[in-house]
Amino acid sequence: MRIKLTSVMVDDQDKALKFYTDVFGFVKKHDIPVGGPYRWITVISPEGHPDVELALEPNANPVGKTFQEGLFNQGIPATAFEVDDIEREYERLTALGVVFTQTPNRQGPVTIAVCADTCGNLIQLYQPPDAQA
Amino acid sequence: MLSTDTFVRLCRARDQLRGVHDRPLTISEVAQSARMSPFQFIRQFSALFGDTPHQFRIQARIDRAKLLLALDHHSVTDVCMEVGCSSLGSFSDLFARRVGMAPSEFRRRVRSMVAVPGALPTELFPGCLTLMGPAFAIFEKQRSWSIGQTAVS
Repeated sequence: MRIKLTSVMVDDQDKALKFYTDVFGFVKKHDIPVGGPYRWITVISPEGHPDVELALEPNANPVGKTFQEGLFNQGIPATAFEVDDIEREYERLTALGVVFTQTPNRQGPVTIAVCADTCGNLIQLYQPPDAQA
Repeated sequence: MLSTDTFVRLCRARDQLRGVHDRPLTISEVAQSARMSPFQFIRQFSALFGDTPHQFRIQARIDRAKLLLALDHHSVTDVCMEVGCSSLGSFSDLFARRVGMAPSEFRRRVRSMVAVPGALPTELFPGCLTLMGPAFAIFEKQRSWSIGQTAVS
């Protein structure tokens, strides 16, 4: 058993693919139309393991929407991505118009920031202790 | 950075835009209740939710209409009213443009797929990785097709 795939629910797959590649900087791995308006889309991180994929799942099912929005309203991130230099990422993303609900702040040994992915999620970015300056 | 207070006000505005009112609220009215200027409201809303308030409201209506058409025994006219559209013609046009088929056609297709009453067909309301099976089937087909091509050439 391996962890090879994770996912975030998104409210619009086109918008999500654009945001996750153009803004977050991930690279598209799969984009397969599966009938109707929906696609099987996964992205990988050029800085991470090429074998770990993030699926951008449509949140078309109302149950998914309720869950996603419940987390969002309470300020809870849907997932988290690791960065080497959180201050630099914060500056870079802010310049691209990304909205943060938490600026980089030290929480024990990690530094955390939270931003909106414009697809219905808050995303936590964290810089692990071994990457701290 | 967005303060918690502004974040909460923008979330409330999103709920307001999705709500059905006797008279649809103007964007200025929603901005006002979020205590922002219309310009500031549209900018902040778009940065947070990825759509303008106007686009968001249209999409919310379409999503609700799809659900009502799938689950309830309402007529298309009822659904049109229910989601806050006053003109059946413009509702049907909008729906067809966004969904790719007329509301009546959508309902017919959903109904033909529903095996258990109250359950949503995953073809039209996918979720939770249900797309993986069909995607891999297509992926395999493409791959064997391209391997076949290579073998021929």
